[in-house]
Amino acid sequence: MQDQTSAQDLKDRLDLIESMIAEGRRNTESWGWTFLLWGVAYYVAIAWAGWGQHASIWGHSHVAWPVTMIVAFVLTIVIGFGKGRAQPGTTVGRAVASIWISMGISMLLLFPALSSSGRIDQHSFVASVAAMLGAANAASGMILKWKMQVACALVWWSVSVVACFGSDAQLMGVFLVGIFFGQIIFGIYVMISDAQRHKQNAVAHA
Amino acid sequence: MPELPELNPVIHGKLRLALLSLLTSVVEAEFTWLRARTGSTDGNLGAQLTKLEEAGYVVVEKKFVQRKPQTIYRMTEAGRKALTEYVQALKRLLGSAIEM
Repeated sequence: MQDQTSAQDLKDRLDLIESMIAEGRRNTESWGWTFLLWGVAYYVAIAWAGWGQHASIWGHSHVAWPVTMIVAFVLTIVIGFGKGRAQPGTTVGRAVASIWISMGISMLLLFPALSSSGRIDQHSFVASVAAMLGAANAASGMILKWKMQVACALVWWSVSVVACFGSDAQLMGVFLVGIFFGQIIFGIYVMISDAQRHKQNAVAHA
Repeated sequence: MPELPELNPVIHGKLRLALLSLLTSVVEAEFTWLRARTGSTDGNLGAQLTKLEEAGYVVVEKKFVQRKPQTIYRMTEAGRKALTEYVQALKRLLGSAIEM
């Protein structure tokens, strides 16, 4: 058989093996929509909590963050359960999922407690959220050997450091920029690259 | 001059090679997931998976999850060994092709 097999064909097969193994390991890329969902949820919470104080139609701005986060959490569980049913179980997948679940539980426990005790201000809130998001992105980026997610972690860590300084207005600006690049843009990038890879696979095996 | 290795014809097909490579990185995979990752049609995918199953490289399990049928595929130890040997043979062939 190998008499008819060219060196290029052999190399193509090695590339195919490599790309398919990487494909199986990087199935968490199909979770790009969660980054987008949570990015939008942060924007909704900020808008509700901030501008809602001056607009009667919004009202109850003190519950903006808890309500928005709980809704985003429920949506993630419901949509994720539907999508995840067809996903294969991998050790890497479980490792990455456990990082994000642990981070989510930490946030859900810590911030309501700090808020109700009154021992947190806007700066420490944004710094803590950004540091946690940075840690989770960095850990999963390193497990997946995915430079874009590590870059996303750097964005969040930068936001975390910068949030410790400056005025409240500057803090809000930094947080909005962090959400835009770390959640919205990254989420869209992941969804587009996932769709492109599916197309390439379809062509490769047509 | 050392003899060139034979390539395993069961694995050599592109789609079967892609399937085994995908299955090597996961514990188990559902039919629909394999279809999405390879961009293959149901008929072609089913036929190639059957060949791999007949060769003893994958095992299949059919079950119901929330009343919906699921077909789960797992790579066997024989499949893992065959893929490893195939990659080694490929590398040796590539090496000899470059030397020529």
